[in-house]
Amino acid sequence: MTKQYFGFSVLEQRSVNLDSEMPAELESLYQKEPSLRACIACGNCAAVCSAGHFAEMQFYRLNVMARRGLLHEMVGKAAACMLCGRCQMSCPRGVNIRHAVLMMSQL
Amino acid sequence: MDSKFHPFVLPFSIGFALMLAVLTVRYVIWLRGLSSDNRKRIRSNFFTVNTWEALVEIFRESLVHLKIYKVNPMLGFMHMSLAFGWFLLIVGGKLETWYYTGDFANEMHYAIFFRYFEPVTSGFWMNGVMVFFMEFALLMVLTGLILALAKRIRKKLMGMQNTTRHSSGNRIALTFLWFIFPLRLFAESATAGQHGGGGFLTANLGAWLFGGDSAASWELPLWWAYSISLGLFFIALPFSRYLHIPTEMVLILLRRWGLESEKGFNPNKGLQAFEVHSCSSCGICLDACPAINIGQEAFQASYFVRGVRENSEVEAKATSCLSCGSCTAICPVGVDVEQLRLDKRSDIFTKARFSHSYLPGSMTLWRDTTEVVLFTGCMGRSNPKTTVAFKALLKEAGLSFVHVDEKDGVCCGRPMALAGALDQSLMMKEYNSNLINGQNGQVLVTSCPICFKYFTEEYNLNIPVMHHSQFLWELMKKGKIKRDSRDLKFAYHDPCELGRGSGCYEPPRSVLAQLGELLPVDKERDKALCCGNNLGSLSLPESDRRQITARTLAVLSANEPDYIVSSCPLCKQTLARQSSVEVKDLAEILLETKPLRVKVPSYSYVHQEAGR
Ligand code: SF4
Ligand code: SF4
Ligand code: SF4
Ligand code: SF4
Repeated sequence: MTKQYFGFSVLEQRSVNLDSEMPAELESLYQKEPSLRACIACGNCAAVCSAGHFAEMQFYRLNVMARRGLLHEMVGKAAACMLCGRCQMSCPRGVNIRHAVLMMSQL
Repeated sequence: MDSKFHPFVLPFSIGFALMLAVLTVRYVIWLRGLSSDNRKRIRSNFFTVNTWEALVEIFRESLVHLKIYKVNPMLGFMHMSLAFGWFLLIVGGKLETWYYTGDFANEMHYAIFFRYFEPVTSGFWMNGVMVFFMEFALLMVLTGLILALAKRIRKKLMGMQNTTRHSSGNRIALTFLWFIFPLRLFAESATAGQHGGGGFLTANLGAWLFGGDSAASWELPLWWAYSISLGLFFIALPFSRYLHIPTEMVLILLRRWGLESEKGFNPNKGLQAFEVHSCSSCGICLDACPAINIGQEAFQASYFVRGVRENSEVEAKATSCLSCGSCTAICPVGVDVEQLRLDKRSDIFTKARFSHSYLPGSMTLWRDTTEVVLFTGCMGRSNPKTTVAFKALLKEAGLSFVHVDEKDGVCCGRPMALAGALDQSLMMKEYNSNLINGQNGQVLVTSCPICFKYFTEEYNLNIPVMHHSQFLWELMKKGKIKRDSRDLKFAYHDPCELGRGSGCYEPPRSVLAQLGELLPVDKERDKALCCGNNLGSLSLPESDRRQITARTLAVLSANEPDYIVSSCPLCKQTLARQSSVEVKDLAEILLETKPLRVKVPSYSYVHQEAGR
């Protein structure tokens, strides 16, 4: 049996460190497209994605990848976008997705 | 002609010579940047009627400014008085000296400062005509100047909501320009007051202001001031927006000779350089822009082109703009701002490593012939009501169809092209071309104006392309769809890509006119406002877009329509999410006005309105 801690337990690889600084690239990405912060990962953008029919393109996951520091993977995946704009039409949070993808693919 | 010289002419002469030198250098650099194709075009068109037509156009547009006059009569009159009046002064001055001396090749300053050298001219009746002519031309310029001043103080007087905010260099040049003609008036009046002569303006003003002996000391300083302001203006000209005056004339010539823009973003070379420097910052494009005064970035054509001219940072301007085409449509100079923006975007986005090599093959080997090939596009998928309605209408008309992007579809490629990534859009073009060409159909109908524009302009399909509004109107004309007029009022919204983009204004209106009353809209057809969501804009934030939408909706709903009707899935969704009036697609309206005894198929579509 694992030891019971009082209150909470910490798994090293899952720890969220609010003190840590964002990588510079990510910081600049968020600066170029501040609305990225508004994403709640509802998944609408992935549900309607035109590119998603053919390739692995789920916009909100790019954003999650970015936050997790998987920048390289994110840039690769962003390349599939067709800039059709359907995601933006269906985003409840007004994320400027096409611009975000453009910025992501240039990191 | 020694007696025809006075040191005060020097500022003018030096300024003019400097201007000519700088202009020559700049033009030679730009001309050297012309592509070899363009040079060939100049050579083969030089001695043709095109050159004559260009001269006529230069007269109409650079001097009389007919196009500005058509957009805004007051503004046109202002530009005409200034430009044409000045032109008359120059030509008249030359003729006057020629007539007076019998020598055509007299020096330039002699004609410009003629009144100083020859206060009292005589001759038979022709002399009176000349004097009157010159004074009349001066009065014309001064009228234009007063109007220009009035425009500075209250732009609304000139029927403008917005005028270009000029940079400081341009303001300096503007000040010199404004001083020139009043100084000329006073200098000539002073001479007339002292030595007699002059016409209806200067003789009277001279007698009144400069008649006494004490005014004698005024004469020379005024002539000096006039000459200096002329000289300074000429020196400033090649470095300010006034460069547009000579450049526009050259541009007209080059265009008439059939030159085409060189590829890429190169505002200091070739035709693009002439185009960029022909913009007069007149500001006509400002009032036309649906996004004027919205958001942080003033990206309107006037500012974008100026930024390009001044080599400043125009990235945000190029990516924020909606590419609605309104400014390009209204620009009196015909600056192709849209192309310039696209070139700039491709310049910016070369770093975006898009790759669509994942697209599968789409070749269809053979299928039975079908009448209509239907393509609804990406946005159409978010608008199932339109698609369902259009299919029902096709059935009503008894047509067979195949919906090629029903299950999965690839973007037409225009959004990619709008972002400047042409190479990637070619992959999509290939996919869709193969798909459509293999259908063995008779006509391709698309309900998306963006696809429609791209299909007609960039694709080489084996069947004709129609927008669904055009197709529906054809069906009505042929009597395959019949409707009675009802007590309904419609306001029609022109999608940018269908109206200005493809020149299709009438078919949707004709359909609506059969179904009820088509209300007039304040800004429609080529002046229509963008819904706010044109895919051309890559960076405009959602909040700005919503403000644009609200503005457009206010115009559309002003006459209290029952429905706002559009024929673009993107416009429809964008307007619908903020509108208090119901927004529908043309196809929906047409289906719903079907006589009631026929059962209207019920919509079955996935709820996709999360954006509301
Ligand atoms: S639709 Fe908008 S909020 Fe939802 S996951 Fe996508 S970007 Fe985030
Ligand atoms: S713009 Fe890109 S991410 Fe958005 S729906 Fe289209 S292909 Fe997908
Ligand atoms: S782009 Fe055309 S309309 Fe706009 S300021 Fe320049 S000349 Fe005037
Ligand atoms: S294309 Fe439309 S949005 Fe862009 S500057 Fe011109 S008028 Fe404004």
